[in-house]
Amino acid sequence: MGGVDQIGLFILLLFVGLLVFFVTIDRRRPATFRPIRGYEALKGVIERAVEAGERVHLSLGTGSVIGTDSAPALAGLAILTSIAETTTMSDKPVVATTGDGAMAILAQDTLRRVYTEARALSRYSPISGRMLGPTPFSYVANLPILLASEDISVHVLAGSFGAEGALAADFGERQGSFVLAGTDDAQSQALLYATAEHPLIGEEIFAGGAYLNVGRVHRASLRVQDAVRMLIITGIVIGAVLSLLGVSF
Amino acid sequence: MKIGTYLLWAAMAVGTGIIVLLGYFVQLDQIPADGLVRNIFELRLLIMRWAVLLAAVSLGIGLYNLFLVHWTKISKQETGWKYSAVLIVTFVVTLILGLVFGPDSRAVLFLFNSIQLPVETSLSALLAITLSLAGFRLVAQRRDLISLVFVGTALLVLIGSGPGIISTESLFFGFFAGLRNWLVQVAAAGGARGILLGVALGSIVTGLRVLLAVDRPYGE
Repeated sequence: MGGVDQIGLFILLLFVGLLVFFVTIDRRRPATFRPIRGYEALKGVIERAVEAGERVHLSLGTGSVIGTDSAPALAGLAILTSIAETTTMSDKPVVATTGDGAMAILAQDTLRRVYTEARALSRYSPISGRMLGPTPFSYVANLPILLASEDISVHVLAGSFGAEGALAADFGERQGSFVLAGTDDAQSQALLYATAEHPLIGEEIFAGGAYLNVGRVHRASLRVQDAVRMLIITGIVIGAVLSLLGVSF
Repeated sequence: MKIGTYLLWAAMAVGTGIIVLLGYFVQLDQIPADGLVRNIFELRLLIMRWAVLLAAVSLGIGLYNLFLVHWTKISKQETGWKYSAVLIVTFVVTLILGLVFGPDSRAVLFLFNSIQLPVETSLSALLAITLSLAGFRLVAQRRDLISLVFVGTALLVLIGSGPGIISTESLFFGFFAGLRNWLVQVAAAGGARGILLGVALGSIVTGLRVLLAVDRPYGE
């Protein structure tokens, strides 16, 4: 097949095949994941926030839907699904914010779906999914007012952030909120490690759906990541050993 | 009816996603010019142009949403409604000036250069202070080995990064500069590659879930 990236297609099909395989065996051989402190604590603090009449805020970051930085925000939408399911009947349901108009629409659609499934569509408000500002710093500049005026006690950052993510996390810390923060950018992760109470390191942001029980496909996709990672590590180790032995490709 | 609508959205998202994704695996110039496959891949370019247009439209919807949120706050006199009032006034003034005089006009550029730019620059400056305080807070509140290594490494990199803390003439600077280079180019680069590998795998499976219509953030 001339002009076709066969290796790329093979890797894509490998991912799909592994995903189907792990979904199939999920009931018979359920996955056991290592505990992630942030996700473990999140379940408890959301329940406490609902009981105390306080609000949960989820930030989907400042990345755009059509950009290469959309993946962490899409993972954030899975976390939003889980949080919304818990807070639907609360007096103060979850608020999702973003710096991108299209992502705000996706957040609204996600929330509407959860309310519809809970047969509580009348409680759904379109402004519970909102765009705070179109640029990274205008987005962050709006956060302190939101955190203070909406009685937010749980502040989750799950999306694409640059340096402004550190400020976003710090505003939550100053408010005394529970702060869970993750992003895809390695440098921003270092900033979040310093500023957030519960930072998500590496690919932990993509594990939210699996840890918060959004569905078995989410658990399966986490197992796919681990399986492919092991393949890659094996390849790297074999390559390093062959290189040490003087074998070149 | 509901199932029909849901299937329609899912089919559109999956179909569009597959066409765009496969475009990355096929070289367009090696496909016959008059074939069906060629037409499908030409469609991919059209879809991507539509996506850019739709993103621009969604910015408008996002701004309307922003207006609505703050208008609601003012209407209900919620906490912080005065800030919302300031936002609405500046929003409307900027919009009118932009529509009447154009985005490159002196009035709009004055607003941008005199208000938005200084505010955003101030926030960047605030970041440096925030990170310094966060470093102290990290040591005070989270006294585990990793946090101490994190803060210690940050300090070593700062010391070795340039003049100011110790003289560049001194023997110590040479040592710290060498240590900094090793930390940045070997330890940090290796760690960052590991993180990026995990992020890449996570991004792929997240994209696949949307592509297979498992995650449907576009509604029912």
